[in-house]
Amino acid sequence: MKLKKIDHVGIVVKSLAEGVATFEKNFGFQPDPSKGGEVPALGIRNAFVPVGESDLEFIEPLGAEGPVGRFAAERGEGIFMLSLAVDDIEAAVSHLRGLGARVGDPNNGIAFVSMKSTHGVNLQLVQRS
Amino acid sequence: MGVGATHIDHIVISSNDSAATASLFARNLGFEIRRKMSRPGTGAHLEFAKLGEVVLEFGGPPQPVPGAEVKANLWGFVLAVPDMQHAVGSLRAAGYETSDPRPAVQPGAVISAVKGGTHGVPFALIQYNALPVKE
Repeated sequence: MKLKKIDHVGIVVKSLAEGVATFEKNFGFQPDPSKGGEVPALGIRNAFVPVGESDLEFIEPLGAEGPVGRFAAERGEGIFMLSLAVDDIEAAVSHLRGLGARVGDPNNGIAFVSMKSTHGVNLQLVQRS
Repeated sequence: MGVGATHIDHIVISSNDSAATASLFARNLGFEIRRKMSRPGTGAHLEFAKLGEVVLEFGGPPQPVPGAEVKANLWGFVLAVPDMQHAVGSLRAAGYETSDPRPAVQPGAVISAVKGGTHGVPFALIQYNALPVKE
């Protein structure tokens, strides 16, 4: 398994527009218009803001269902997830499972590691093309 | 204008047993713990790894509670800025409260915490090469 870098940090916000605007206006970050949008399968809409070689992902839940919706309901806004870029998602999942970690099946180059296998930290693995 | 952040300098993972969490992550994800230390003053146990340009910092109490379930969470992150005075001045002009820049645990660096107004994200700014480094 080869980690390449921190791909992004996921931040749950109540309002995507307000969250992005805060960081754009006050911190000088520019959203990447080529990324983000609405992801009904995950119950979210998101936007990505590059900071160096990584991104900040701002995530607004579309409802109370799903991990993001539950996080928002329980904790409000805040850091939700750490996404790690790997060179080969299948190999990474296989590697972690071989070490006893619980990892979901890869889907569109993304796999989630169970928080039971990370001391409670929400970890995502992603393979960028 | 903004703070002129160049990159995420480090991401802080807080744990009630930072050595155990750092060890788990390093073993499973295949990276090396490059530095271990106690934070001066508090004695907090810190361990550091680096992924690309970003440092992962694992922080926790000086000693874990024996037998306690290990629990960790993503605490916050620190952005690298080239000019701390400019960055702090910019944020204060926008109405933010920031701590006065102070020496960081990283040699020669200064750090300032941003207090509130960040959508629940604790974060701070760091500038390297801001102070002379003692030989």
